[in-house]
Amino acid sequence: MKTDSTIAHSHTHPTTQAELLIQAQQRKKRGFRMGVGATWGMLLLVLIFLFSGQNILGFQTIKLDGEFMRKNLGFIGSGLGETLLISSSSILLAIFLALLAALGRLSTFPPIYALSTFYVSLIRGTPLYLQIFFFFLALPQLGVNLSGFTAGVFALGLNYGAYMSETFRAGLASVSKGQREAAAAIGMTPGQTMRRVVLPQALRFAIPPMGNDFISMTKDSALVAATGFVHEVMWRAVKVGRAQFNNLEALLMAAIFYWMMTLILTFFQTRLEARLAKGDR
Amino acid sequence: MAPIVQISNLDKYFGRLHVLKNISLDVQPREVVCLIGRSGSGKSTLLRCVNFLEEPSNGSIQVDGVIVESHGRGKEHRQLIHDVRLKTGMVFQEFNLFPHMTVLENVIEGPVTVKGMNRAEAIALGEENLDSVGMLFKKDEYPMRLSGGQKQRVAIARALTMQPRVMLFDEPTSALDPELIGEVLNVMKKVAKDGMTMLVVTHEMGFAREVADRVLVLGEGEIIEDAKPSTLFSKPKDPRTKALIDRYRTGGR
Ligand SMILES: Nc1ncnc2c1ncn2[C@@H]1O[C@H](COP(=O)(O)OP(=O)(O)OP(=O)(O)O)[C@@H](O)[C@H]1O
Ligand SMILES: [Mg+2]
Repeated sequence: MKTDSTIAHSHTHPTTQAELLIQAQQRKKRGFRMGVGATWGMLLLVLIFLFSGQNILGFQTIKLDGEFMRKNLGFIGSGLGETLLISSSSILLAIFLALLAALGRLSTFPPIYALSTFYVSLIRGTPLYLQIFFFFLALPQLGVNLSGFTAGVFALGLNYGAYMSETFRAGLASVSKGQREAAAAIGMTPGQTMRRVVLPQALRFAIPPMGNDFISMTKDSALVAATGFVHEVMWRAVKVGRAQFNNLEALLMAAIFYWMMTLILTFFQTRLEARLAKGDR
Repeated sequence: MAPIVQISNLDKYFGRLHVLKNISLDVQPREVVCLIGRSGSGKSTLLRCVNFLEEPSNGSIQVDGVIVESHGRGKEHRQLIHDVRLKTGMVFQEFNLFPHMTVLENVIEGPVTVKGMNRAEAIALGEENLDSVGMLFKKDEYPMRLSGGQKQRVAIARALTMQPRVMLFDEPTSALDPELIGEVLNVMKKVAKDGMTMLVVTHEMGFAREVADRVLVLGEGEIIEDAKPSTLFSKPKDPRTKALIDRYRTGGR
């Protein structure tokens, strides 16, 4: 009854109270965003100032070796391709393993269920750094020699697969029982139900978290530099930095590359998420 | 005439709970049977036993010549269940349309994937059924952009496109806003008029009175009354039936 009276009341005014309220809210939101943007700009300026090498009002800021940076910008930046390649390869392996592990968790056959939980527990119980070295350094002792790249992809893929299996598990759980029943009622076999009804919905559910995982992966791929044989961004930064005692400059440049890459990927990730949210779900 | 659906000595237990107690029921071809009863009386369970969404604890189900016994195991049993599911279409209270498929894709999914029908043929058949439920104009929409009543009409078209012999409805209008119930009931009336055998769990007494050939009253897992709607609504035999009808009259459920 209350709502009826407010609706009737609002009709008598040209600009309704609701409209005014929305306008006020939008103003507040815009103000907040502008404040955040301005502060980001200031923080960036402070950072740039800090590394500008100027003596301003008696404050000596950090001086960087500009010559070195100009010379090696291309060398470090050309590792981006390798970083993206190793991350993409690893994420594909991770998706495959995560799917198997998540499906294994649904199995009523004990060995399959156990295999899945064992894998997840083992991988999550040990450091990623150790896993990379295991593939690269420990396996040769058993006569298995993997290239730095392959060892890195195996380690990153296995590692992320274990974590991502939880995402897929949530995705599978997000598909209601009614969906399976509707599929069964039109005569679908359990396999058809999984392929045609459950998995497409579960994967769609898992896309945003998978995007986040890919973004983390681009940074965790830096660990592969430790093998010394994958010439991605981190490896290149360490190499030139050490050789010429310009570690500060080299690592700063690498940091900027990683950060930019993350910003760009996050931009696409946000758009994808927005599209999925209002799309055909 | 041989019954098209025959439920014989059906028992269903959920753990210790005895939900259906030795139920036997024959449904003749083209008959429309409404199932009413209080919440928890076992209406849904009975309906779901017909197409084995629930596995009966005892007894057997026959649909259009396919007989499935409880306690069946193995490949042969699964094949029989599959055969029964091809002969029955089901409509759920919550619609259960596939959200990642368009209306038309929802409708042709069964014929193409399950029956292996060629796509063009399935589309022709699907569009015909969408037209008959008045939903052809939304064939390329996704379910989330439809109203509840529209969703349910698509769900009915999806079931019909499998060309079943029997349609099972489990409270098809209970999740709908009151103003949308009519459009779904009208479609169901049309399906009945086209000669479909129907088993309908419903709270819509108007529909039962108008369309049903028989109304069954379920109480505590047993069929406590089985009569023509005219008889049942005017002279209920069992006091529980009388109480139920009175509650519907006063708008309760
Ligand atoms: N999967 C299940 N596990 C355990 N108990 C169940 C299950 N499904 C139904 N029951 C129980 O069986 C009884 C009958 O349930 P059923 O859903 O068939 O009733 P209904 O007549 O359809 O009721 P409603 O009008 O509320 O839909 C209820 O007591 C219910 O709690
Ligand atoms: Mg029910």
